[in-house]
Amino acid sequence: MTDQIREQVSALLDGELPQGEIGLLVRRMERDPELRRAFGSYSLIGELLRAPGGHTARPSFASRVSEAIAAPEQQPAAGVAKVPERAFWKRPGFATAIAASAALAAIVLVRPDAQHRNAIVASQTAAEALGALPLAGATSPTPAQSQRLASYLVAHSQFSSALGRHNVWSGLLADDPGLTRVSFDMSDAP
Amino acid sequence: MKPREPVDDDARPASGVEQSDLELVRRAQRAERGAFDLLVLRYQHKVVKLVARLLRDPAEAEDVAQEAFIKAYRALGSFRGDSAFYTWLYRIAVNTARNSIASRQRRPLAYEAELSESEQSAVASRMSHTDTPEANLLSEEIRTTVNRAIEELPEDLRTAIILREVEGLSYEEIAAAMDCPVGTVRSRIFRAREAIDRNLKPLLD
Repeated sequence: MTDQIREQVSALLDGELPQGEIGLLVRRMERDPELRRAFGSYSLIGELLRAPGGHTARPSFASRVSEAIAAPEQQPAAGVAKVPERAFWKRPGFATAIAASAALAAIVLVRPDAQHRNAIVASQTAAEALGALPLAGATSPTPAQSQRLASYLVAHSQFSSALGRHNVWSGLLADDPGLTRVSFDMSDAP
Repeated sequence: MKPREPVDDDARPASGVEQSDLELVRRAQRAERGAFDLLVLRYQHKVVKLVARLLRDPAEAEDVAQEAFIKAYRALGSFRGDSAFYTWLYRIAVNTARNSIASRQRRPLAYEAELSESEQSAVASRMSHTDTPEANLLSEEIRTTVNRAIEELPEDLRTAIILREVEGLSYEEIAAAMDCPVGTVRSRIFRAREAIDRNLKPLLD
C-alpha cells in the first residue's frame, strides 16, 4: 500500500499521474511529512542527475518557505527606511480647505438673524473664526484673504442661476435679503 | 553570464510536468497550501541553483530564492497559465536576484564590527549552512552517493531513470524505447528512485 502511494508520488513528480488521482494524493501529502520528504528527495535526485554541479537547496529549505508564507506580513527589514507619512494637517491644500470651510460655516451661522446683519459682518465673523484656528503652513490665508473669499461667495450667490440655488450654499445666501448690499471687488485679488 | 531562459513555445504541447504544475497551481489558487508546498519541493533546487549562479554568493542564494518563492505565492492569483509555471517562476527568481544585486551595490560595505549582534548571528547562521567546508563536503557526499547508487542499479532501472531525468522523455516514450508497458516504466523509475533515496536518506536527515 505504502509503495503504491510512493509510486504515485514518483509519477506526480514526472507529471504522469492521472488527473483524477492528483487531488487525493496532494491532500494525503499535506498530512504526511514522509511523503513530502520522498517527493523532495526524488526531485533532488533528478536535479543531481541533470546538472551535477552547483548549489542545491538545504533539506529544510521548503519548510522554511512554507513557514514564511504562513507567517503574517513582516515589518520592513532593518535598514530599509520607511518614509514618514506627513500629518494630514501639514498636507498641501489643508489650510485652504479649512479657510473655505470656516468662511462658509460663518456665513451659514449668521443666517438666522441675517435681517440685522450684512455680509461684512459675516465676513468679519469668518475672519475671527480663522484667526482662532491653529492653521499650519505658510500658505494659510490671512484674515483679509478670508474676508475676500467670503465676500466672493456672497457675491456669487447673487448671480447664480435658479437651478444652482437649489443645491448650493449660494442659493441660501441669495435668498437672504440681508446680504444683497454686498459688492465684490476683484481689483486687489491675489 | 545571462542564464538561458526556459523555452516557452506556445505551439508546443504542454508536457506532463507542465500540466501537473498547472493542476497544482489551480489547487494552490483555491487556497490548498499543500499544493504550493509541492511546487516548492519540485523547483527548490533549480531555483536555488539559478539564483546562486546569478548572485555568485551561495550564502545569499537561499534567502533570495526563498523571497522569490514567497513573491510567486503572493502573485499566484495573477498566473493564468499562458506560460509554463516554471517559466513564470524563473522570471520572478531572476528579477528578485537582480534586485538583490542592485541593493547590494547600493549598500555600503558592512564590516563585521559595524553589524549588530543579530545581524552577525544571521550571517553566521547562513555561513554555517551553505558556505562552510562542512556544507560543501555534504554537497559533495550527496553527489557521490547519488552517482554510486545509480551505478549500482540494475540495468533496466538505470536506463529508465536516465531516460526520464537526463533525456526528459515521457513514460510513453520510454516505454517505446525500452519496449515495455507504460506501467512497467512507471514502476522501474519509482524503484530506481527508492534505491537511491535509501542511500541518500541518512545524509539528508
